[in-house]
Formats: sequence, C-alpha cells, structure tokens
Amino acid sequence: MENFAMLFHGFGVVFTPTNIGACLLGSILGLIVGAMPGIGSLAGVALLLPLTYKFDPTTAIIMLGALYYSNMYGGAFSAILLNIPGDSPAVMTAVDGYPMATVKKRPGQALMTANASSCIGGIIGMLILVILGPALAEIGLKFGYAEMMVLLLVAMTSIGWLVGGNPVQGVLLTFIGILVASIGMDVQTGSPRYDFGNIYLLGGVEFIPFVIGTVGFAQLMQLMDEKDIKVKSVDMKLTIRGSMLTAHDYKRLLGPSVRAGLMGTFVGVLPGAGATSAAFLGYAMQKAFKSEEPLGTGAIEGIAASESANNAAAAGSFAPLLALGIPGSGTGAVLLGGLMMWGLNPGPLLFTNDPDFAWGLIASLFVSNIFALAISLGVIPMLLRILQVPIKLLIPVVMVVCFVGAYASTYSMFGVMIMLIAGVCGYVFDKNGYSTAPMLLAFVLAPLLEDNMRKAFIRTAGDISDVFFGSAIATVLTLVLIFICAFPVVRTILIKTGKYTPKKKG
Amino acid sequence: MKKTFTLAIALLMVTTMAFAGGNADASSDGSFTPTRDVTWTCTSSPGGGSDIFTQEIKESIRLNGFSDANIVIDYVTDGGGEVGRLEVSRMTGPRADHTILTFNSGDLMPMCLNTNNRIENFKPLALMASDNHFLCSGDMSKYHSFQEIIDALARGERIVIAGSKGDDIETYNALLKSLGVDETQLAYVTNDSTSSAITSLLGGHVDLVLGKQASCEQYIIAERMFPMVALCEDRFTSDLLKDMPTITEFGYEACDVPNWRGIVAPKAMSEAAADYWAECFRQVTETPEWDEYITRNGLVPMYMDRASTVQFMTEFQQSYLQSIGKDK
Repeated sequence: MENFAMLFHGFGVVFTPTNIGACLLGSILGLIVGAMPGIGSLAGVALLLPLTYKFDPTTAIIMLGALYYSNMYGGAFSAILLNIPGDSPAVMTAVDGYPMATVKKRPGQALMTANASSCIGGIIGMLILVILGPALAEIGLKFGYAEMMVLLLVAMTSIGWLVGGNPVQGVLLTFIGILVASIGMDVQTGSPRYDFGNIYLLGGVEFIPFVIGTVGFAQLMQLMDEKDIKVKSVDMKLTIRGSMLTAHDYKRLLGPSVRAGLMGTFVGVLPGAGATSAAFLGYAMQKAFKSEEPLGTGAIEGIAASESANNAAAAGSFAPLLALGIPGSGTGAVLLGGLMMWGLNPGPLLFTNDPDFAWGLIASLFVSNIFALAISLGVIPMLLRILQVPIKLLIPVVMVVCFVGAYASTYSMFGVMIMLIAGVCGYVFDKNGYSTAPMLLAFVLAPLLEDNMRKAFIRTAGDISDVFFGSAIATVLTLVLIFICAFPVVRTILIKTGKYTPKKKG
Repeated sequence: MKKTFTLAIALLMVTTMAFAGGNADASSDGSFTPTRDVTWTCTSSPGGGSDIFTQEIKESIRLNGFSDANIVIDYVTDGGGEVGRLEVSRMTGPRADHTILTFNSGDLMPMCLNTNNRIENFKPLALMASDNHFLCSGDMSKYHSFQEIIDALARGERIVIAGSKGDDIETYNALLKSLGVDETQLAYVTNDSTSSAITSLLGGHVDLVLGKQASCEQYIIAERMFPMVALCEDRFTSDLLKDMPTITEFGYEACDVPNWRGIVAPKAMSEAAADYWAECFRQVTETPEWDEYITRNGLVPMYMDRASTVQFMTEFQQSYLQSIGKDK
C-alpha cells in the first residue's frame, strides 16, 4: 500500500503544467520516432538528451521516459501498414499486422489491436513495477550468467514453433541468423570474427538495417514483382468507426495480451534482454497457445502478444534502472547517462534520496500510456490513408523510407548496404517459401546466449554441472529445457511403439 | 571571339581551382581561426561516457566563448569506431584543420589490436582526465578485505573478477603479474560495461568487481558494495575512498592501467590549428564547469599540453603493443 501512496505522490509531481507538457511532448515525439523506421527509442532519447541539459531533472526524465515508452506504440504503425517495423521491438508485429491490414482488409482493426494490447501490456508492466518496485530488480539480479544461459536456451527452443511446416528450412535459416549475428568482435576477447579484412564488419551487423531489409525491402521487391501493379493496396472505405474492434476481437486479444504482458515485464527486468527479445518471446509463446487463426496469417493474437510484450518490457526495464541504477537496455543506458548529466546519482538510493524523481517518472509512464493511446487512436484515420495510395506511388516512397531508416540507424551507408543485401536475401527466401522469422529470432538471441554461455563457463571453470545445476533457478530451467526437448521425441517413440494414440482433431 | 571566350573560361576555371582549396585559415601572423563548421568525431554511441565528455567540452567552449566555431558532433560508430578513427587519421586539406576526435585509452587499445592504424597517424592535442581502478566486493561476496583475497589465493581457491573492456582488461592482466597468479586461479569475466559487471556482483555471481569511482559510488554509499584495494600507487583523495588502502601497501606492485580521456586531430592538421584547439582545451580545464564534471564523474584531472600528450600517448601505445606482442 505504501508504494501506491508513493505512486499518488508521483502523480502529484506529474500533474503540473510543465511536467504534463513535457509528458505530452515526449509522447508525441516517441510516436513519431517510433513510426519512423530506423530511428528507434535509443537514437530518439540520445538525440533529445542534450536538449534537456538545462531542464529540471524530473521534467527531463518525464519527457524522455514518455518518449521511450510511447516509441513502442509508434513502432507498430509502419510495421502494420508498410511491413517495415518502425523499431526493432515491432518486428513480430509486422508478421501478423501486415497480412491483417492488406490480405484480410482490416487495417484499422490491426492498428486498434496493436494500440489496445500495447496499453494492456504497459499497464501490467507498470502495475508490477509499482507493486514490486525494488524487489523486482532484486529478482532480476538472481539471474546470473548460468541462469540467463539456460533461460536463453529455453527461449531458443521456441524457434521450433516459428519454423512452420518445413523444419529443415527453419533450421537452415536459424543457422544463417546465428552466423550473421556472430560477425564482428568476439564478445570476450575483442578479437575480430568473420570480418574478412573489412573494417566496417568489425562492428558487426546492425539489427535495424538487417530487419528493414529482410522484412521491408524484400516486401517491396515482391510488390514490384507483381504484374497487377495498378491495383490499390486496400480498395475500401477506411474510417475510425470502421476500424473499431468487435467484442469478439477484444476477447481474442485479451488472453494473449495479459500472458505476454506478464512475460514481457519479467524479460524487461532481466539484464540486457530488452523489449525486442520480449516481443519475439511473446509471439513465440503465443504459438504454444490456441489462436483462432494460424499465426502469421493476420491473427489478432499474434499482434496482441508481441505488442503487449514489448510495452510491458519497456515498463519492466525501469525497475533495475530506478532501483539499482542498472540499465536493462541500450536506451536505459542513455537514460542513466542523462541522470548523471542532470546531477542525480542513479543507484540503490535513488528511491530514498529522490522519491519525487523516481515516483514522478513511474507516474508519468501511466500518463504517457494514456497520451500515447489517445494520440494513436486519433491518428488512425490519417494513417489509414497510406493504404489508399496506389502501390505504384507507394513503392518509391517506401523505398526512400527503407534507405533513410537504414542510414539513420547506423549514421552511415554501411547500414544501407546491409539493408540491400538483407533485402535481396529476404526476397529469395520469401520466393522459395522460407519463413525469415526463425532467422530474426536467432539473430536477436544468439549474441545474448553466446555472451552468457561464455561468461558462465569462465565463472565455473568449465564445470557443466555447476552451470546447469549450480542454483535452484538454473536447475528448474534446465529441467524445463530437458522436458521441452525430450517431449516430442518421447511422444514420437510412444506413438511408434503403439503405447500412445493421439486424439484426432474434430 | 572564340579565343577570348576560351581564355575567359580558362581563367574562370583556374580561379575556381585556386579557391577550391578553401579559404586561407591562417591569418598573416600565422595564427588560425576556424572558417567553417568543425566536425568533432565521436566513435562511441550518443549518451555514453565518451559522448558526455565530448558534449561537456563542446558546451564549455561555446558558453565561455573560447571559439566562435560551430562545432558539430558526428557519431561514427561503424566497425566498433575503427571507421571513424581511420577517416579522421586520413583527413587532409582544410577539413583537417576543422576535424577533431575524442580519443581514449579504450579507443587506442582495440585500434592497435585489430587494425594497423596507430597514434602516429594522428596529431594528439590534449589529455584531459583519467580514471583509476580499484577492486570492490559486494554484499553477497565471500571476501571482504584484500588480505582475505591474498590468503584465499594462497590456499589455491579460485576467485572470479568481473569488469569492463579495454583498460579494465589490461589492468586485470597487470594485476595477475603483480600478484603472481594465473588466469585459472584469478579469472576475469569481460562485460560490455562496468554496470553489467556490478549487476553480476550484486547478484552474487562473481566475487569482485574491477571498478571506477563514478560507476561504483552510489553502491558504496548504499553499502551494497565495499571498496577493497586501489590498484594505483597513491590513495584516492575523495572522502568516499580515501580510507581504501593501495595494493602497494600490501607489498605488491601498482598495476593500474588508467582510462585516460584525450582529444586528437588528423595528422594533416596544421600546426597553427593544432595550437588553436589545444589552447581551447586548456582553457576548458580551467573553468568551474570542468571542475564540476571531474567531481561528478569521480575523475582525476590530468591535463597535458600537446608535447606531453604526444609523448604520453606514444609511450602508452608502445607499452600496449608490447603487451600484446605487436611491438615489432
């Protein structure tokens, strides 16, 4: 109850004209930055940071926090309407959002689903942040190298759910994702890997241009390939009223949003995991649950799971940042730099020494959630007009967006090169029926897994039993991993030996 | 008419080429004044320590009017920053006089390790500050004093230290030599940042952290971390750390490889321009904002003029190249 009293105190801090203005401005900027492919919350917060030098620290963090948080809303816009994720956490939103908008001709509902589930996920994350507060950060600390490694191994098994009908194709693309992710400097020794003497490859392949190419540019090439180019992408009247979700739609999105919201908050708290991993895992987790339509074909459940997870993770990542001064993501690290620039001392005493600041920020997240939702709903009719632009006109515009996005994320033409190469590869994969989702998930998770695995082995001097069974958390996760891996094998053996007969559907 | 026209065109071209080299930046007395936008290259991402260092100096130059030039920070992070460093080292012509680069020990070490680019390809302008290392234990650590560490190592126990990259790794290697143990007994886990290392210490996943004052200060005040031993020659002077003993007090050699923060320019920068910028940076170190920056970040003021900076950076590089076996 004390935490809720402090939260209300935080609302008192937020509800001043200056802070409300800062929150509104941050929310608007976050939506714009999120909707523009390639920029993302990290660059948005970093670019705005110097402008807040002379602000009151609480006003400054309220604006930047609102920007970070509402960025998660904005990322879904271009993912759904153009199949180009506005930022990396929106990658999985495109998988179902774009087909729902174009194939199922329900673009307004797709945007509504993204907004509603973002709001639900965000509220779940924020409530957990308020109730558990510093305790949540302490839970995150319990996940050391070994625990994170086994958790990521469990997460990697979810690639199996994304593979679809052809496991060989899925495994092949997973390995390509891991290979591409391993380009750059070795995480422990700092020596170059697969750089082929090219200085640009020393820094590795950036995720944003890679994903803009694989998903967005590949999609453009497919559109150019279509003969019937005169057809409008969506030939229907698009209104706000026509975009409303039905009661049945809400019922469909509620379950996945709540599940992914809980999971996303937890992932957000973990060291280095971030909103992108949360969105992937939220989507993969939904694969294990029943959806009314198959995921990947424009299912509401798919959009809800990834959007709820990334918003919850954004809220969850504030727990270690505020309670311990530990950034949960790249954007968190920039915010931490901001705290120091404003003369604050981020660390375990922030809640005690600067309660106005800490609780003001948490309260402002609730307010920016409302602002972002209201603005997102308000701009839906305007956004939908994008889909009424003839494809032949849309293609060059989107192509420019792809180039600018790839450039903006890396500040160099190298990002554009990555985008083009990934685009051609993505096009070839799509043409041959290969789903690129496993490759993208492997690309996100493999560096985290490698980093934690190597640290875990250094920590334990290579003692495998200590890695997998060294703590209660690691032991439980290892047992879950064994169960997930062994279950299909045991099931197949039982079916083959006639000891088990699966129930026929219908 | 045709000849006159041809002559006029030729004259125009010659004039254009003559001015294509840019305006003369050096005035008649040989001094330099910037005549175009100045590009300050930062090879780290916005928001990090290097960026804040760069922003602080840029802001101080503007506020105090040390230069009227419009300074634009350009983040070139490609190839782990190597692309930016290579571009600056190869800059020629008038642009060289208007280009500066934030350059830390954490930039020099990977540059020497992974490329053939060397400090000789730059014109060092100033050394501004440095950061010293110390060992810290956490509230879940088994060991609470350096003597306990020494005793544990003598008993053959295995101890794990977490730290960041660059100068932290070099400090760890120097610590191994100083204590006379190997990496199997005193292991090191490399993290992307000191805050990641602190995360693992607070969770009880490692025994010690190799830290610096700015990153550890709040945890020490909150009694989540405990300063154990300074790895430099002299004790820290801050109130928070002045009671922490140095490694030399235990009879071991000092082994700190400090993280210094400096500024360099392209090798082709004119002497007049180099003097101009070096003077700007010297003036910055005398401002109250700079003192506040140093205090806020727990840094050690370490201003050096051009000649001393060249000598310091060259010797540091030589020592580092020797340590990685690339000194031939």
